[in-house]
Amino acid sequence: GGLCLHRENEAKSEGRAELIPSIKLRHCCLLRNQRCVTAYLYDRLLRIRALRWEYGSVLPANVRFHMCAEELQWFSQYKKSLASFMRSLGGDEGLDITQDMKPPKSLYIEVRCLKDHGEFEIDDGTVILLKKNSQHFLPRWKCELLIRQGVLEHVVS
Amino acid sequence: MFIADIRKDFYEVVANQRVVLLVAPDIDALCACKILQALFHCDQIQYTLVPVTGWQDLGTAFLEHKEQFRYFVLINCGANVDLLEMLQPDDDSIFFICDTHRPVDVVNVYNDTQIKLLIKQDDDLGVPSYDDIFRDEDEEGEDSGNESDEGSEPSGKRRRFDEVRIKPSRSKREWEARSNIGTLMLPEILNELLNFHLFSCQAAMMFFELAWVLTKDTKDMLWWAIIGLTDQWVHDKITNMKYVTDIATMQRHVSRHNHRNEDEENSLSIDCMRISFEYDLRLTLYQHWSLYESICNSCYTSCSFKLWTLNGQKKLQEFLADMGLPLKQVRQKFNSMDMSIKENLRDVIEESSNKYGMKDIRIQTFGVHFGFKNRFLASDMVHATAALLESAEKDDSETDTFIKALDALSRSNIDRLHSGIELAKKKLIAIQQTVASCICTNLILSQGPFLYCYLMEGTPDVKLFSKPMALTLLCKYLLKAFVLSTRNKRCKLLPLVIAAPKDVEKGTVIVVGIPPESETSDKKNFFGRAFEKAAESTSSRTLHDHFDTSTNNAENRFLDGKLFLKYTEREHCE
Repeated sequence: GGLCLHRENEAKSEGRAELIPSIKLRHCCLLRNQRCVTAYLYDRLLRIRALRWEYGSVLPANVRFHMCAEELQWFSQYKKSLASFMRSLGGDEGLDITQDMKPPKSLYIEVRCLKDHGEFEIDDGTVILLKKNSQHFLPRWKCELLIRQGVLEHVVS
Repeated sequence: MFIADIRKDFYEVVANQRVVLLVAPDIDALCACKILQALFHCDQIQYTLVPVTGWQDLGTAFLEHKEQFRYFVLINCGANVDLLEMLQPDDDSIFFICDTHRPVDVVNVYNDTQIKLLIKQDDDLGVPSYDDIFRDEDEEGEDSGNESDEGSEPSGKRRRFDEVRIKPSRSKREWEARSNIGTLMLPEILNELLNFHLFSCQAAMMFFELAWVLTKDTKDMLWWAIIGLTDQWVHDKITNMKYVTDIATMQRHVSRHNHRNEDEENSLSIDCMRISFEYDLRLTLYQHWSLYESICNSCYTSCSFKLWTLNGQKKLQEFLADMGLPLKQVRQKFNSMDMSIKENLRDVIEESSNKYGMKDIRIQTFGVHFGFKNRFLASDMVHATAALLESAEKDDSETDTFIKALDALSRSNIDRLHSGIELAKKKLIAIQQTVASCICTNLILSQGPFLYCYLMEGTPDVKLFSKPMALTLLCKYLLKAFVLSTRNKRCKLLPLVIAAPKDVEKGTVIVVGIPPESETSDKKNFFGRAFEKAAESTSSRTLHDHFDTSTNNAENRFLDGKLFLKYTEREHCE
């Protein structure tokens, strides 16, 4: 806006008023481009925010590759905000609201192993061998990551 | 040891533990597995399910899981061998075995600590008493001392198992001669016991009763138990008498579950599952096929009419005419037949069948229906699931087919079930065609003490028969058909051994033997031992991998040689 006005005034003072429409047009184009770029960057930001909810606090390398340094910084600050918010809920321990995004039907689910994944540790230190076509009945939250990665499949019966 | 109270000694023991389920590949085991899984889901008992197709798989699965799990539940495998000897587990591994194979290995029966048998003890097991077979180290004086003498001391009541040794079989040659069957020589008891192989009450029923005792039984579980029972009948593993008795037991449960419906007609929506007792026709899959195809491809009718002969075909036409069923109707899909024909179909068929010598065209069974379209008889489910379990797709490993078959048993996977039905139809057609061609081309040879049939590599559908259940079904149909078509009286009393190529590249065959056809057969199968002996003597490599000892994988060489005949004869004398 400021630049446009300046140019306009220059044009008027130099007596070349016929340039004013071109100046205005060019300015509108610049503004439009600026809006597009801003919209794009904002959309990226929203997606990066969603990444925290989908992937957890550590992003896979191939995703990080496509982010610029500022975006990474923004992400880590978002993470911190979210973490401190979660800590402030639910008394001493805090509440992990990124778990169980949909209300779970049951604490344990039956999963089927789609590929050989080797050993998999659950909380109490016990280890389960994930072999292709074996089925397991495990706590839901333990399986979610592997289900997303395609190693396990939730069996609905 | 046999478990007295399945709730206290099994379910409550595993209640807060994590368990491995090792399941054999037969329909009864699949049903038992589903019931147990449903119970575990109810009580949130964590488990890992591993399908095992044979002894080797069982061993591998055990090794893989023994570090992390203490409790193993074996379904339809493990009772008929010395499991501890085979797996060499640590002392704290506990095995719960629910197995229909008999005889139960005596070591399993008398082990107090690690082996728990989920088997009803009032079965006619014929297990000899402890003192007849075992001798404690305390008692033995003169026996050879290769076991450690200063070893572990018997801790009062419970003896560690290695301290007890089975009395040495005094007479290998006595066994081979099989003289003196009258005088019972003590080691003979064992040998007598081990000589045959039999099936007994189904695993699915065992777990259903557990669910019932816990009052957690549902209609789904009841249906699975019924399918398990029907599997044993379809694959000819139990006698008719046992089947009828068990049906009566099931009927009590069905009435109990249906009790709610009786008062208010329309209280349950049409989508709810209803199980009903049916006195239905013995025509396999007839409601999902056309009546004509079903009659042609069901063992009972095909053998009664002898449909592989021209005469038989004529008789079939007469039969249909006698019932007043137009050919056009009968060849249509069953669901598209006229309602007027379908209404009294069963009675009409029964009446005509009696005229044609088929007295047992109707059989007691159960059917289920949920929703408007979904009606299935228990035998339909068995055939569909068996076809899925043994489907010969190239890229499906055995565990893949196991998973598919397991899925088909859930009511939410109707598509899978329908695809199973289609596969089952193909399988039945293949069986009938193979039977017809074997009879017509005289492929069944009489080899002295038994009948023998070898399916050559180029035979159509021979891939289907590289699987044990399909081959056994073929074997039974073939024997029935043969007995009806031969004039040789002696041949009618012979058992049948059938062999089919298993893996063409490796040159292996699969061999199945079944006892002779008889009305009063007790279904005991002697071929396990025969195969073992024959393998030793022909020094061909055999893989006694199947849980069912009458099935065997072997090299091609196994079938050559007179020694094979000799040992099979010895085994089979009755």
